[in-house]
Formats: sequence, structure tokens, C-alpha cells
Amino acid sequence: MMGGTEMPKEVVRRFRSFMARENQVAYLFILPFVLGFLIFSILPMLYVFLISFMDYNTLKSLSHVKFAGMDNYIRMFNDPIALGAFVRSFIYTLIYVPGLIVFSFFIALLLNKTFPMRGLSRTMILSPYVANVIAIAIVWSIILDPYDGPVNSALRAIGIDPPFWLGGANTSLMTIAFINIWLSLAFQTIVFLAALQGVSRDLYEAADLDGASKWNKMVKITLPVISPTTFFLVVTSIIGSFQNYASVRMLTNGGPGVSSRVISLNIFEEAFTYNRFSYASAQAVILFLIILVVTIIQWKGQKRWVHY
Amino acid sequence: MGSLLAFKRPIFGLAMLLFGVLMITPFIFMLSFSLKPTSEVFIHPLQLIPQKLYLVNFERLFAHEYYFNWYRNSIVVVFLTILLRSFFVTMAAYAFARLHFKGKNIMFLLLISTMMIPPDTTIVARFLLYKYMHLVNTHWVIILPAIFDVFFIFLLRQFFTGIPKELSESALIDGCSHFKIYYRIILPLAVPALVTMALFTFIWSWNDFVNPFIFISSIQKQLVTVGLEYFQKEAGRDYAMQMAGACFIVIAPIAMFALSQRFFIQGIVMTGIKG
Repeated sequence: MMGGTEMPKEVVRRFRSFMARENQVAYLFILPFVLGFLIFSILPMLYVFLISFMDYNTLKSLSHVKFAGMDNYIRMFNDPIALGAFVRSFIYTLIYVPGLIVFSFFIALLLNKTFPMRGLSRTMILSPYVANVIAIAIVWSIILDPYDGPVNSALRAIGIDPPFWLGGANTSLMTIAFINIWLSLAFQTIVFLAALQGVSRDLYEAADLDGASKWNKMVKITLPVISPTTFFLVVTSIIGSFQNYASVRMLTNGGPGVSSRVISLNIFEEAFTYNRFSYASAQAVILFLIILVVTIIQWKGQKRWVHY
Repeated sequence: MGSLLAFKRPIFGLAMLLFGVLMITPFIFMLSFSLKPTSEVFIHPLQLIPQKLYLVNFERLFAHEYYFNWYRNSIVVVFLTILLRSFFVTMAAYAFARLHFKGKNIMFLLLISTMMIPPDTTIVARFLLYKYMHLVNTHWVIILPAIFDVFFIFLLRQFFTGIPKELSESALIDGCSHFKIYYRIILPLAVPALVTMALFTFIWSWNDFVNPFIFISSIQKQLVTVGLEYFQKEAGRDYAMQMAGACFIVIAPIAMFALSQRFFIQGIVMTGIKG
């Protein structure tokens, strides 16, 4: 045996220095990433707040930029184009998110069964996710061409008066949402599929013994068990639904009229067409605050339907 | 009952196959139209299989002054992003997964919470800052910010946490430094995660429109996605030509996806299910 009281002290000292070394090493490991992240992500986030209180609304040198207080925010609340764009984004989210969640859940349910050539079907169903948004916009614009496109030609041939899709003021936003659902549903489908496969078989077997119907099993077992996944997907899909500049610009560029001019498009136009950097930033800050509030509300509300 | 099920399954399988074909219909149109002269694109009734192969669109595409430039630029940018991102992200993810240090949890939470901010909301600030840093209109303006992507920290941390602790502990007792453990033990075991990361990086960088569109101004420096938009405008009403251009850009990620679907699905499952 080693000597009485020295040993624990020595162990503690060595343990402490070991932990201190681990601390140092860990900081060295994260330092390169954290530095880059500060410069390329955190700095722009802070900067967008700062510019939104400036008068950087023309192309001028930064030394002439002055503090403008709340001017950009006040201006925004009197600007029907900006306000309309917020409302349209909101409507877009209301179409896109439920459509995406329901549709991807349904596909996941189908793919969760065993059937011949399942792999091939799955590959085809998931493949739009990897496609290029510009290529997608080009092909959908042609497919849905109101006059000569194959879809409307076919509809006319069977005697239906077809909608104008991307070219119609009442249909443009909905058509963009539909195309984006088609494009992005692979992610949600895969996550749902994994969640469905994680539901314990025992639960279903017990329900079978009780003679539960398929519908009952769905409502009483499947939906509650996967509810944390559903929650995660709803939260991230809502955030993602505001990230639609590329597809809107390519599909309609906000038209016809302003019928699909969503807030992301408005921000880009204000900034890069009219050089109103501060005004665009103020709109971006408001958009961010809205997303924050919506996310917090969901977080608080999850107790009512999410079962961990 | 069992025989009924066996009888029903092929029908269900066939229905799912048809549904799959429906989902890829736009790609079928893309290919079909690119192999026709534009005058035949809008002929009704629709002919999906061209009567004879018409390759003029692709011949003109290959002769385009910038098209291969964009392709080469994109390949270089994607390759450098994968390389640099692998280095920076795995280092940080290793610390978050395997080391103890002060402020670890709060720092990780802060990083993750920034994923809540849609990148479109900071585009103005990024543009002005990058202009100030003289990064605008270089390929570095795409590569550098892309390296520091929190999504991949999350993905890799999940993966590293799953590697048994005993492996690194015994190495530590043998006097191995953490850096040695990181690149001799953890990195070789994390190859599937690295492949997943490379795959996602490729697909997302290749398809990114917003960043090159805003940050790169000269057309010969552009990447494929913005290049395709330029190409589309140039082709005007020549729809078949547009389709040929689109085809050639969609083919790379789709081929990649078809070949490595397993990694792709695994990557999404890892980030999604624990969220």
C-alpha cells in the first residue's frame, strides 16, 4: 500500500491539472471553428441590427452613413408593399407547412410498408430533393405554361378550363408552395420514416389483442409516439418556409402584379435593386423577430400535444 | 388472409412505382424536351419519347463560351468547401463530443440556436461585410463562410458521441495526445460520417443560388446555378435549349444521390430524430 494522506492530495492535484489540460486542448480544438463562425455568422447577425438603425439607403461611402433611429421601422409600417409582402409570406407558410407535413407523413406511412421494388420507388420519390432550384423552375414553368404547356393542353383536351398556375394572381402563391413541397419533402419523409420505424411493435400487438381498429392505432399510438418528431419538423419547416427567395424569384419574380411578392423577395429587391440596405435590414430584423415569436409560441404550446 | 396479402402486395408495389414515376415526371420532361427541337416542345398531344434523337441542343451547349467554365468553377468551389469544412468541423465536433471543458453546453446551445435564423435575413449584412473584406467577386466569398456551418457540427457530434469511449480512454492512458486520438482513432472511424458530410456539401453547394447570385458579379466566375439562370435568359424562347442546360446541371447531384442514398438517409435521420 502507498503512504496515507499524501496519495489523495496527489491524485486530486494530478486530476485537476489533467482537467485543466483537457480544457486547454478543447479550446484549441474549437477555436478555429468558433473564430470563423464569429466572423462569418455572428458578425453579420449583429451587423444587420446595426444597419437597420442607419440611413444607408443609397450607394454612398460608409463614412457618410448616419444614425437614423427608428426611421426605417416607422417607414416600413407605412409601406403597403412591405406589409403586403409580410402577409403574403404568412399565407405562403400556411399553405406550405401543413401541405409539406401531411404529404410527407403520408408518403412515409406508405414507404414504411414492405412491397416489391421498394428501393426503386423510394429513390424516385426522394430524388427531387437533390435537384437544382433553377433547373426546377425552368422545367415547371414550361410544364405549367398557361397556354401551351402539357398540363393545360391536357386539361383543355378533357374539357376543363385550366387555371393559369404561376401566371394567375390567385394561383401563383399556391403553385409556388406546391412546387416547393414537391422539391423538399424528402427531408421530412425520411425523418418521419425513421420515427415510424422506431415505434415499438409491442404497442401495436397489445392494441391488436384489444381489437383496436387501424384508425385507433394511428390516433392512439402512432401519432402520440412520433409527436416529438412532428414537433421538430413543424418548427424547422416554418423557419424554412421563409427561406424561399431563389424559388420565388425564378418562378414568378413576385408576379403577376405583386401576387407572389413574399418578404424574402422584398428584402432582396430593396437591398440589391434599390440599394436601400438599411431599409431592407429593418425588414429582415422584423422577419427574424416574427420567426422568433412563432418559435417561442410553439415551444410553449408543445406541452399540449407533444409526448416525450 | 395470408394469400390475400401476398396477392395485394404486388399491386401496392406497382402503385408506389407509378407514384415514384409521377414524382420524377419533371425530370422526364426535362430529358425528353432537351432531345427535341424547340418547335416540337409544345406539340399536342404530348410525345415524351422523341421520334428521332435530336442532339443539336447539346452540341450548342457544349460549344457555349461559359458553360464549362461554370462547371469547373463549381467543382473547384465544392471540392475546396468539402476539404476545408472537413477539417474545421471535425475538430470542433470532436471537442464537443469527447472533451470536457468549461462552457461547453452553453456554447453548443448557442451555436445550435443560430440555425433558427434563415440565412436570407442576414444577406444584406453579409454582402456589405464581405465587400468591406474584399471578398466579393472571388470564389472565397462562397467557400469561406460555407466552412463554418453549424449543421455539420451537430451531425458530426452525434456521430462522434456514438464511438465507444473505451477506445480513446485506453489511448489516453498510453499517453496519446488528444490530437493523435482525433486523427488516428476518431477520424478513421468517422469515414461514413465524413462521406455523409461530403455528400450534403456537394448537393447544397452545387444547388446554391442566392450566395453566388449576390456575391459574384462577373459571369465567367459564376457557378453552375447562376450560370444556368444566365443561360436561360440567353436562350430566350428556345425552351429545348433551356432544358438541355438544366439537364446537364441536374444530372450530377441526382447521380450522386442514387449512388450514395444510404449515407444521405443516414445523415438526415441522425440530425432529425434527436432534434
